[in-house]
Amino acid sequence: MRPLAFLICFVAAPVLSTAAQQAPHDSIHGAVRVVDVKARTLEVTAGVGMALRVVRLQVPAGMPVATRGGGATLTLGDLRPGDVVRVSFGVRRVGYVAYTIERVGRMDAGPESTP
Amino acid sequence: MVLAVALVAACRRPQPGDPLRGLSAAERARFDSGRVVFDSVFTPAIGLGPLFNASACAECHEDPVSGGTGDEVERHAAAFHPERAGRACDELAAQGGPVFQDSVTPALHAALGIDNEAVPPEATAIAARTTPDILGFGLLDAVSDSAILAYADPDDRNGDGISGRPNRFFDGRLGRFGRKALVPALREFNDGAFQAEQGVTSPSVPDEGTVSGGPLPAGTDPAADPELSSRGLELADAFVRLLAPPAPQRLTREARQGREAFARVGCPSCHVPALRTGDNPVAALRRRAVAAYTDLLLHDMGPALADICLGRATPGKFRTEPLMGVRLMTRFLHDGRATTLEQAIDLHGGEGARAADLFRALPAPDRAALVAFLKTL
Repeated sequence: MRPLAFLICFVAAPVLSTAAQQAPHDSIHGAVRVVDVKARTLEVTAGVGMALRVVRLQVPAGMPVATRGGGATLTLGDLRPGDVVRVSFGVRRVGYVAYTIERVGRMDAGPESTP
Repeated sequence: MVLAVALVAACRRPQPGDPLRGLSAAERARFDSGRVVFDSVFTPAIGLGPLFNASACAECHEDPVSGGTGDEVERHAAAFHPERAGRACDELAAQGGPVFQDSVTPALHAALGIDNEAVPPEATAIAARTTPDILGFGLLDAVSDSAILAYADPDDRNGDGISGRPNRFFDGRLGRFGRKALVPALREFNDGAFQAEQGVTSPSVPDEGTVSGGPLPAGTDPAADPELSSRGLELADAFVRLLAPPAPQRLTREARQGREAFARVGCPSCHVPALRTGDNPVAALRRRAVAAYTDLLLHDMGPALADICLGRATPGKFRTEPLMGVRLMTRFLHDGRATTLEQAIDLHGGEGARAADLFRALPAPDRAALVAFLKTL
């Protein structure tokens, strides 16, 4: 690694991380509606009672998808419609950007199911 | 004299709109305060709309008392694509669904020139939904998931032609409320209804809905969010949760024969006569038998009744309608197409077809007795 790149990684990364945490943020726990790996977007359906909403998220390149219990790490391309996910995200100029994604089950099998 | 009055009150059968028996003084006070919220009429200045179906909970749930049934019929829509892997149902949530409101405030009408929320062309079906009574729903909420799942038989392993399936919400939890059993909990059903039915935001649902997926025009939502406080939500929930179910009426000789016929034709396979509640912080809801006449599961009702999908429920699948309080209804089935109980039974298809056939094959006095029994519930 070049010294400049090294410096950027060790100085800029914590700054960016702090900025992400300070930006307006939210979370959603729902079912994957659409995954577009090429556009790196994820749509999640959730809601309260019959008041439903769909949140469209940008997923940064290389963002891992965690699994319940900290087992195998997945990628965006491993997600399928009907997977139950928890996503934390922030509000940016480009829209909602995911900070973390965890796959916790399948909608058709319950929250504790193995995806 | 006082003792006599108290005894008469204690022996009086619960009337529609009464609270559950055995509430503490604090619970009774919350029930009474919650009725005020339930009956409150919202205006645009204090939060109604811009899209809405009704201006108060009690505008629809009104007959014979607050929490009862009503004659309003609303529109739900969804897109069903069985060819799609993973999830075949799109509830059209990105386009304002699945509840498409039939009314708008004057400000929204002035801004967009619309009188209701348009159903998008992506919808593959539009469903009519009548207003159910919600008396006794706190007891349905208190039934444990395991008690419901004990009746599930998705692969019909017992070979009786009945295969109850659970619906699940988007986070995977077991659903039980709504005609398609999508919603897991009464509190969520109530909280969501303020937004979906009245356009009233709250800490639980802080955002207004969209107009067919588009943003609200500026100036059309004058009330500051949240339009209903957490306290208001809690009280409305307390009122609904603590409403007593209609007490079944005394069985006449004919109704007793009808109860036997009800069992003989196989109705209890889905309309399970009694469920039992589990542990609950409210003593009046704890470990009680509920004469609900439902298994809270989805069953295929055949193509003639099919309309929209919702969650895991395909168009033909509906939750077994609770029959507690059915005597208060004047229209039957999810869309009110049946005007008599006989018609409602006759229209059962799919998993209900065999019971409907057996009902039709009964001698006329037995059919009348079965209906007489239902009219005691």
